[in-house]
Amino acid sequence: MTAIRYLRLALLALTFALAVLIRPSALHAHEAAMGVLEFREVRPGAFVGRWSIEPSIGASRVDLRVPPHCFLRLPEMNCGQKGLIGPITITNLGSNMSVVLIKVIPIEGEPRSYTISTANPVVSVLGTGAPTLETWIELAKTYVNYGIDHILLGADHLLFVLGLIWIVGGGWRLVKTITAFTIGHSASLAAAAFGLIGVPERPLNACIALSIAFVGVEIVKQQRGEIGLTARYPWMVAFSFGLVHGIGFASALAGLGLERRLLPAALLFFNIGVEIGQLAFVLLVLALIWAHRRLDAVVPRWGEALPAYLIGSVSMFWFFGRLARVFAVI
Amino acid sequence: MRLHLARALTAAALLLTGANAAEAHIVAARLGDFYMGASHPLTDLQDVLLWTATGVLAGTLGATKGRWLILVFPLGLLAGLPLASFFGAAATQLADATMMLAIGMLLAAAAQVPTVVLCAIAFAVAVIRGAANGAELGPETDRLLFAAGLACVGYTVITLTMALTAMFRQTLPDNSASWRFIAVRALGGWIAAIGLMMASLALAT
Repeated sequence: MTAIRYLRLALLALTFALAVLIRPSALHAHEAAMGVLEFREVRPGAFVGRWSIEPSIGASRVDLRVPPHCFLRLPEMNCGQKGLIGPITITNLGSNMSVVLIKVIPIEGEPRSYTISTANPVVSVLGTGAPTLETWIELAKTYVNYGIDHILLGADHLLFVLGLIWIVGGGWRLVKTITAFTIGHSASLAAAAFGLIGVPERPLNACIALSIAFVGVEIVKQQRGEIGLTARYPWMVAFSFGLVHGIGFASALAGLGLERRLLPAALLFFNIGVEIGQLAFVLLVLALIWAHRRLDAVVPRWGEALPAYLIGSVSMFWFFGRLARVFAVI
Repeated sequence: MRLHLARALTAAALLLTGANAAEAHIVAARLGDFYMGASHPLTDLQDVLLWTATGVLAGTLGATKGRWLILVFPLGLLAGLPLASFFGAAATQLADATMMLAIGMLLAAAAQVPTVVLCAIAFAVAVIRGAANGAELGPETDRLLFAAGLACVGYTVITLTMALTAMFRQTLPDNSASWRFIAVRALGGWIAAIGLMMASLALAT
């Protein structure tokens, strides 16, 4: 029983941390702030640029830098005989505009896509021989970092994982549960990214919030001595809700309009990034639980139920906020 | 020769200070102000040293005394943030050095510090470093998110350091003779020496 109290104190502190992100602005926080810019070649070396998805900060405020031999004044870009080859960067990427996809549609050959992100702010537009090894390395760098960023900024996903750790505790049960969650969200992420399944983003986000509320209720049940579904079959709950969360992850990739031939690799690297972020979070939580046990620092009895209600309150706040967005109330 | 050494040390210190701001801004641009608050102290040598020294001191005094810092330290960081406008990063240099010297000496002497004094030291360190971290905030930074990130990393670092120290020290009956006990005291000596050097540098500049 005392071990559970150590765990609760460590988890209480982390819940408070995640709860900071519940302010109204955070309701929008997990939707990627992105833009898509298309360059269509109209004659050799001459392009017409157009924002097919304009970033939230406004197209005019994007500080786009093209290779030095290219002359850019949107919508026109002229790269002369050399063509569009070389580095493209955006100097004012930030939390308001974290990802921009550049699509290059040549007169001959297949269209190409390049992702400029805060994690990888410079991309090299490649020649006709692509994809090369360099392309794959660049893709890996971009999408592993993007996956890490996505999970670290996703307070809802982290809160769900925290709830699972709370109920399951440590040991092999936790390993199995987290593995089931990983398998679940990887499967649905792949299915959604390949277009096999499609769920509108706003209702999905509301469902994700509900999944956290469900875990909150399960924690309260456990504290009352009842054996809930999660305590009995943690892997099943983790897998089922993992499917829901995975579709949420896919929404981060969906708007990027990647080339289909590059999609499997991008998906793999993105998922690796998500797993790295998730594993780091789980290890941090376990380390803190161990530290609390070592220091014999337990949560007072009067505060034992507080974390579960905090998780429940945060998730229901998210749920109502997201539900309101489904019906476009706000 | 001494002049060259002093110049080299000053240059190194300036480089470190520059690196802090740059790295913090990269994190802010990439992951927002919560993670900026969480990573900012980890890129500052003074934070890393002082936080570790405080955690080690608390860890050596045992869980009963140390566990109070789990609350006291993050609260001190939060209390220090609004004081940033009064003090500033540069103004805390001498205070940092003094605290480091004091903690180092307490560790080296294996002093049995009472819980109240330990909490006061930890709170003072946290307030000073909270003010120093707050002094580098830009007007565009979301202060609530930054404060939350700072408090979280303060809680995490101090809790883990105390637990690791307690594990390393182990409480055996014949503790005073063990190499672990001596190692912690030697570490205290090093921390005091660094504090002394920092104090000299702060007074000289």
